[in-house]
Amino acid sequence: MKKMSIRNLLVAMTATATLGTAGTSYAEDPIRIGGLYILSGSAATYGEFAQRGINLAVDEINDSGGILGRQVEMIYEDTQGKASVAIQAARKLVYSESADALVGLDSSGVAQGMVPTMPELQKPLIITHAATPDVTGKLCNAFTYRISVNVAQNMKAAAMVAAETDATKTDATNWTTIGPDYAFGHQSWEFFGNYLKEINPDVNLMSETNFPRFGAEDFTPFIDRVMDSDAEGVLISVWGGDLVNFIRQANNRGFFEEDLEVMFTVGAATEVLTALGEEMPEGVHLSTRYWYEAYDNDTNDRFVKAYLDAYGNPPSYNAEGAYAAIYAYKQAMEAAGTTDGPAVAKALSGMSMEAPNGTVTFRAGDNQAMVSPNWGVSGPMHPEHGIRTLTNLQIFDGEEVARTIEATGCKL
Amino acid sequence: MSGIGAALLNSLDIGLLLFIIAVGLNIVFGVLNIINFAHGALYMLGAYLAFTLINIAGMPFGAALILAPIGVAILAVIIDRVLLRFIYSRDVADSLLLTFAILLIINESVRMIWGSGIHVVQPPDLLSGSVSLLGSSVATYSLFVIVIGLLLLAGLWYLFNRTRVGRIMRAAALDRDMAEALCINTRMVVTGVFAFGAWLAAVGGVMAAPMRALDPGMGDKIIIESFIVVVIGGLGSFPGALLGAIILGLIHGFGGRYLPEVNLLLPFVGMALVLLFKPNGIMGKGANA
Repeated sequence: MKKMSIRNLLVAMTATATLGTAGTSYAEDPIRIGGLYILSGSAATYGEFAQRGINLAVDEINDSGGILGRQVEMIYEDTQGKASVAIQAARKLVYSESADALVGLDSSGVAQGMVPTMPELQKPLIITHAATPDVTGKLCNAFTYRISVNVAQNMKAAAMVAAETDATKTDATNWTTIGPDYAFGHQSWEFFGNYLKEINPDVNLMSETNFPRFGAEDFTPFIDRVMDSDAEGVLISVWGGDLVNFIRQANNRGFFEEDLEVMFTVGAATEVLTALGEEMPEGVHLSTRYWYEAYDNDTNDRFVKAYLDAYGNPPSYNAEGAYAAIYAYKQAMEAAGTTDGPAVAKALSGMSMEAPNGTVTFRAGDNQAMVSPNWGVSGPMHPEHGIRTLTNLQIFDGEEVARTIEATGCKL
Repeated sequence: MSGIGAALLNSLDIGLLLFIIAVGLNIVFGVLNIINFAHGALYMLGAYLAFTLINIAGMPFGAALILAPIGVAILAVIIDRVLLRFIYSRDVADSLLLTFAILLIINESVRMIWGSGIHVVQPPDLLSGSVSLLGSSVATYSLFVIVIGLLLLAGLWYLFNRTRVGRIMRAAALDRDMAEALCINTRMVVTGVFAFGAWLAAVGGVMAAPMRALDPGMGDKIIIESFIVVVIGGLGSFPGALLGAIILGLIHGFGGRYLPEVNLLLPFVGMALVLLFKPNGIMGKGANA
């Protein structure tokens, strides 16, 4: 009898002790942010870059007291580049891992599938990479924000580059495209064509377009086809490993010796430039959503330096978007004074913040950040970073290249 | 017309590279009755080993072409002895599951060892640049791929039809119990064939490295193509692998150029047509080892 009661007492004490810890740890529970990126397969490098950017931001924030006095903790899920996987992963993050907010999405296809489920989850999502205009357009909702440049913004800038009349004037009138055969490739061409026609009604958008399979490996037939056509300008939205293959094969075919205006819409991505080194030709138009040498401000200096110190390479656009997104949540949660999903989402609307690419504002009408696409012309190799530099760098005004809210089709 | 010559050479280089890879898949199926999902992963390993030997150890391309496939073949022997030997007597579906698991393990290992970034391998100086042929300029390296592909084709034909080893492999493919009764050490044959299939995959990987970007998904891309080759040509058929690979090469080489709107569809249309009219593939099963 006596033994039993001692044991009961011990059980009770342990239980109380556990309760106690549970109680105290509740107040210090970290803020949990769920990251949804491609972490396996061909495009895994994009997920890894995002994680690098996020890790830097989380470390900086935690070292200086966290958000609302709480530490920040990241939980990652692999989307595998598939919408169905991403939706399941988001539900898991919110319902079983109690994520307070979400960041991520590398692919337009995933974003189009994922975004309509956000109101059900009642948590904010900041898209850091996927570029389809639809998610801050006809599919927009009060929980979905995007901090990175979208296709519409970048293609407006591209059309301005293509139609330019100063020193780098292009005299191309016949334009065609080579792009991956899914939303991104087709929408890039559609928006580019429409904007270019608006600026210069004399251009001819060729009906002969080229949309190789994503992951096609051998682009030679499409390269030959463009070289044999009447094209004078070509918009190339091939990206990632495909772009590395494309450029090496184009070099073999003498594509860059042709009298062609060549514009790569994601050509100045640092992972592509690093892989290619000197094989990236000089004198072609390259764009990126964030060029690490384009911005002269304290946030950018700090970010680029921290990134170079930690990883030895200059930061990619994807790392920058992910880095900035964590700071966006810090600011929004502190403004809202809570981590409550709808309140944080509301705080993000119309919010301005200091990011590596300058002052970034989430426009209230469609939740798209007014960020600037960067275009330049490939120049000599960087002496330290081992990649091509960008000359004639143009930083487009975020507001100027954005669609009007009416044109986005977003009704919030 | 210059365009057709270029498209033809391009088709041949795509096709013969695919042949090197798909024939390994086919030999393994023919002899071991295993559909090796990890074949693409072994191809990727060949490419990454070549990257390490050339870009990091500073070896010449020729050395990598010899050493990397041997390394992959040794790994294949281990995979066979440790894992696959338990499932040879089971249903084909079990081998699919197990080799799929091996594929995932290799994919993740590659990502952990070499990182998720994109890597490139330079072709040797002798083979870089381009030459003029059939009225258009062709990358010298593409011609090299075609030559090596043809040499391997001749070598394989000789192996299967003119050597004792080849006859033993064919015997084991036709009836393993009978072969065993005739004092053939079928266990050795099985391990040897699996390692040989892996060697072929890795040769394909090393050959592909100077013209394809290396990333941790490259094996998944090639395995789908290889399956299409095998379905078109015939599962387990050696000439079928050649025919299927050349057909798929032509589909890519000419399809991208002249029918770009439907290039995505063409390989699958080809596959569907073959399945409709020749459900076992053009060369069927059992045609030749």
